[in-house]
Amino acid sequence: MKKTFSIGGVHPADKKISAGCRIEVLPTPQTVYISMSQHLGAPATPVVAVGDKVKAGQVIGEPAGFISAYVHSSVSGTVKSIGPRPDLAGNKVTHIEIAVEGDEWADGIDLSETLVTEIPADNRFIIDRIKSNGVVGLGGATFPTHVKLTPLEGKKAEILILNGAECEPYLTSDYRIMLEKPDQIVIGAAIMKQVLGGSRTVIGIEDNKPEAIESVRTAISRLQAKSASYSGIEVAVLKKKYPQGGEKQLIDAVAHRQVKSMGLPIDVGAVVQNVATSLAVYDAVMKNRPLTTNTLTVTGDCLPADRQKNYLFRIGVPFSFIIEQDGGIPEGAVKVISGGPMMGKAISNLDATTVKGSSSVLYLTAEQTVRKPESNCIRCAKCVEACPMGLEPFLLNKLARNGMMDELEQNAIQDCIECGCCLYSCPANIPLLDVIRVAKGDVMRAIRARSAKK
Amino acid sequence: MNRLLVSPAPHLHTRTSTMSLMRDVVIALLPTVIVSILFYGWREIMILAVSVISCVLLEYLITRFLLKRPNTIGDWSAAVTGVLLALNLPATSPWWMVLIGAIVAIGVAKMTFGGLGQNLFNPALVGRVFLLISFPVAMTDWGPVRGFIGNADAATGATPLGLAKEGGIEAIQHLDYLNMLYANIGGSAGELSAIAILIGFIYLLARKVIRPHITLSIWITVFVFSGIMWLADPSAYTDPIFNLLTGGILLGSVFMATDYVTSPMSARGGIIFGVGIGIITMLIRYFGSYPEGVSFAILIMNSTVPLINKFCKSKKYGR
Amino acid sequence: MTTTIIWTIAILTLLGVVLAVVLYLVAKKFKVEEDSRIDDVEKVLPGANCGGCGNAGCRAFAKSCVDAMNLDSNFCPVGGNETMKKVAAVLGLEVKEKAPMVAVVRCNGTCENRPKVNDYGGYSSCRVKASLYSGDTGCAFGCLGCGDCVAACQFGAIKMNPQTGLPEVDQEKCTACGACVKACPKNVIELRNKGPRGMRVFVSCVNRDKGAAARKACSAACIGCGKCAKVCPHGAITVENNLAYIDFTKCKLCKKCVAECPTGAIHAVNFPAVKPKPATAAAPASSAGPVSAHPAAGAKEAAVKEKPETKEE
Repeated sequence: MKKTFSIGGVHPADKKISAGCRIEVLPTPQTVYISMSQHLGAPATPVVAVGDKVKAGQVIGEPAGFISAYVHSSVSGTVKSIGPRPDLAGNKVTHIEIAVEGDEWADGIDLSETLVTEIPADNRFIIDRIKSNGVVGLGGATFPTHVKLTPLEGKKAEILILNGAECEPYLTSDYRIMLEKPDQIVIGAAIMKQVLGGSRTVIGIEDNKPEAIESVRTAISRLQAKSASYSGIEVAVLKKKYPQGGEKQLIDAVAHRQVKSMGLPIDVGAVVQNVATSLAVYDAVMKNRPLTTNTLTVTGDCLPADRQKNYLFRIGVPFSFIIEQDGGIPEGAVKVISGGPMMGKAISNLDATTVKGSSSVLYLTAEQTVRKPESNCIRCAKCVEACPMGLEPFLLNKLARNGMMDELEQNAIQDCIECGCCLYSCPANIPLLDVIRVAKGDVMRAIRARSAKK
Repeated sequence: MNRLLVSPAPHLHTRTSTMSLMRDVVIALLPTVIVSILFYGWREIMILAVSVISCVLLEYLITRFLLKRPNTIGDWSAAVTGVLLALNLPATSPWWMVLIGAIVAIGVAKMTFGGLGQNLFNPALVGRVFLLISFPVAMTDWGPVRGFIGNADAATGATPLGLAKEGGIEAIQHLDYLNMLYANIGGSAGELSAIAILIGFIYLLARKVIRPHITLSIWITVFVFSGIMWLADPSAYTDPIFNLLTGGILLGSVFMATDYVTSPMSARGGIIFGVGIGIITMLIRYFGSYPEGVSFAILIMNSTVPLINKFCKSKKYGR
Repeated sequence: MTTTIIWTIAILTLLGVVLAVVLYLVAKKFKVEEDSRIDDVEKVLPGANCGGCGNAGCRAFAKSCVDAMNLDSNFCPVGGNETMKKVAAVLGLEVKEKAPMVAVVRCNGTCENRPKVNDYGGYSSCRVKASLYSGDTGCAFGCLGCGDCVAACQFGAIKMNPQTGLPEVDQEKCTACGACVKACPKNVIELRNKGPRGMRVFVSCVNRDKGAAARKACSAACIGCGKCAKVCPHGAITVENNLAYIDFTKCKLCKKCVAECPTGAIHAVNFPAVKPKPATAAAPASSAGPVSAHPAAGAKEAAVKEKPETKEE
C-alpha cells in the first residue's frame, strides 16, 4: 500500500520532460547580481564595499536577525555596485553586483568530489557549519536550515522527513540529484538526523520516479554497509498526488500525523527538509562549501528536446543569461516561470537574478496558461474535493469578496497553504486562490495584531 | 514573443470546464434519449426538440434582454435542463405544455435566482412538478404512442407504480423485472430503461463528473425502506426491486439529485441528502396520494441543502 | 359552509389579537434604553453608511457624536458642513467648518505616457496585482488600473477611463468619504482640498524612483528635479524621495510650478481657460456654477466663500 496524504489533492499531468537530461554546469557570465534576500526572514546586510575583491565562497552578506542567513559570493571578482535592483517580480531588493574575474575560491573550501562519510560528532560544529555556509531550505520557502535544526525548548523531533516528492509537474532538478548524488543526499540526511537526536529518517519519493527510489535505496544500503551511523534511514514510496511535497501533506503521508492549525511540524515531532537542502547540508558540513550553487531545470512543452536542461548554476546568474545560454525564449512561450507551474512565480523581469531557491526556468504556452473568463460558481465542490487542507475555497472566495474577516477566520482561511489546487480544479475558472491569498494575508495580520496585543 | 504574461500561481488549469461537465451530462443522457425515441418515436423527438430549444432560447433571451449580461447558453446547462425536462414528461404531452414547463424551469426556477449556480431548486423538476400540479390529467396520460420498435400497446396505460397505487399488489403481478431493466412499460421517457440510465451513471462516474454518494444512498435507502415494509407485509407493500426499477428513482437519483447546484457539497452531506430523498420518495409511494414521489422528494431535500452544507463541512486538516 | 368561514375568521382574528399582545409585551420587556437624540442625529445624516467618518455607519456616527458631546473629532465627509450644522443644531453644539475635500488620482500614467512592459493575466484586482508584483508597466508606484477604487466608491464617483486606463473622479459626485483612498494599494489617491470652484494644483505622480528611472518608466513622471519647489513663492512644495508634494493648505494656486515642471507632472484643474480672474468676484456666482447640481456639493460651495484660498492673487 503506497502512502499519500489523506485530504484532497489533484493530479496534473506529470510532464517530467527533462528527466533524462544529466546535470550540466552552466558557464559563468561576466557579471552576477547577488540578492541580499534569498531566504525567508530579514534580508542580509552587505559586508563588502564597492571596489572590494571577493573570492568565490566568501561571505558578502551577514544575517540581520534571528531568522536570516549568510550570503556568499558565488564567483570571484570585483564588487561593482551595491544597491536596489528589481527582483523577478519587479520589487526593489538590495543586490551586490560582482564583475567576474577568474574562478578563485576562498580558503578552507573542499572542492574535490571525494565522498566524505565520517559524520562529525559535535552537533554544535555541524549547526555552525550549516549556518556559516548559508544553507536554507530549497523546497520553496527558503527557511534558514540552522533555525529549523535547532530544536525548540521541550520539543523533540521523532521523525525527519526528506522531501523527494517533487510533486510539481515539469521540475526534475531534485530527481536528477537523487540519481546523480544519492550518497551525498543520504549523508546529509544522516547529519541532520544526528543533530535532531537520532530520529527516524524517511526519504519520501513519489512512485513516478522509480529510478530515483532505486538510486537512493542503493545508496542507503551502500552507506549502511560502511557505517552504523546510517541505520534508521529508509525510503517511503508515495503515491503520486499534488501537493505531496507540501510540508503538512508530507507529514500526513509519511507519519500519518496532522499539524494543528497555525502549528509547526515540530509540534507533532516532525522535521521536513528537501533533498536538495540535504545535499547543501552535506556540502556545508563535510566540504565546508557554502551554498553558492544549486540545480535548476530549464523546460517546457514548447522547448525543443535538445534544449531541455538541468543546470548546475552559480547563484546570482541572471535569468536572461540562462535563457540566452539555452538558445533564447522558445517559439510559443508566453510565460516564463521560476519554480513549478502550480506554485512558482511568473517572471516579469528577465534581468532578475537567480537566488538560492531558484529551481527552474519553465516556459508555458498561451494554451496552457492563459486564464479563461470567470463564470458563475456551479457549486460542484471540485475545489472542496481538491483542497488538501479540507477548506472550502468557494466559500472563502465569497466571504473574501465581501470582506467578511471574522467568517473567513472561522472557516480557517489562515490554514491555506496556497498550493493552487482550488484554482486549478475550478471548472468555472473562478480565480479562487488570487482572492483567497490576499484575504489570507489580511486575516493573518489581524491574528498577529491580536496576539501582539495580549 | 512581445511581452511576458504575468499572473499569480497556479499557472496551469484543468481541462474540465463548466461546459465540459454539462456536455458530459448530456452525453450520459444519450442512451436514455435513444431508448425513449425508439419506444415513443416522433412524438418524443418533438418533445425533446421543443424542450431543449425553448430552454436554451429562453435563457438566451432572458440574459440578453432582461438581465443584460453576457449570455450563458454556451455552458450547456440550459440544454441539460431541456433534456431532463423532456425525459420527465409523458410522450403524449402537447407542445404548449412542454413550452410552459420550459418557461417555469428556466424562467422561474433558474433565472429569477440569478442563473446557473444560484438556484435553490432543480429547474427541470420545478418545471415538471408545476406541470404535474397544473395539468394532472395530461401529465399522467401514458399513451398510446407509436414508437419505432415494440408495439404500441406495450406503451399504453398506466405506469407500474400507477397500477400498484390503484390496483394494489395484484395489479403488478404480471410484470417481469427483466423487462423493466431493459425497457420498462409505460411511464415518461426517462422511466423506460434502467440499463440506459445505468450506462449514463457509469459514464458520469468514470468521467468524474459526479461522486456516487448521493445516488447510492438513495438506492440503498429505497431498498432498505421498502425491504422492511415488504417483509412486514408482502401483500400490502411492493417489493424493493420493483421500487428501485420503477418510476423516476433511477433517472432522479443519477441525473437530478446529483445536480451540483442543488445538492450538498460534502460527501457526508450527500449521504444525508440521499437518505432523505429515499425516505420521502417511499413515504409518498406507500402512503401518499401520488403514485410517484421522486420529484417531490428531490425538491423537498433541495430546500434543506443550505442547512446540510452548513452543518456537514468537510474534514479539515489538523482540526 | 358558513359556519366554517365564520369560525376561520374568528380564530384568525383571535390569534392575531393574542400575538399582538404578546409582541407588545415582549417589545416592552426587552426595550433597549437609548438616548433619543441618537435617533434625531441619525435623521439628519445622509444615511449612506459609507464609513467615511471612521464609524461603522451613520447610526454609529450619531452615537459617537452624542457620546462625545462635541463635534471636534466627528465629521461627516459626505454631508459636509451643512449636515454638521444640522447635527450641531440637534445637539446644541458648536461646529467648526471644514474645507470641502475631493479625491484626487495622482497618476498620469496613461497608455502613451507609461508603456506596458508585460501583461497581467490574473484576477483583475489592484490588491491581488499589487501583492503579486510591481505591475505591468515600468513604474512600480503608479496606478495599477484594475479599478479597486471604482468598486469601493459607493457614490459612483469614480470611473475608469478606457482611453487612459486610469480612474477619473467626478468631483460633483465625490463626497470625500475616503473609501477609494483605503482601497488603493498603491496610495495613488489622496483627499485634497477641493479648492475654490474646484480649482486646485497637485502633483499627479507618486513615483519615488530616481529621475532617470522614473522618466524611463513614464514620460509624465515627477523626476524630483525640485524646480517647482524653488519657484513656489509660498513654500508649499517639498521634494522628498525624488517626489514633489504640494501642501494644499499652503498652496495659493499661483500655478508658477505648473509652468516650471519639465514633465508636466503638476496638474492644475478647473482653472478658466483664460487668465484666472479674482475668485472673490466669481464666488457669489458660484451657486449657478456646475457644482451646485448636487445639493451637498452646493452646500460645500457655500462654505467655500469663507475660505482663505478664495483670496487669489
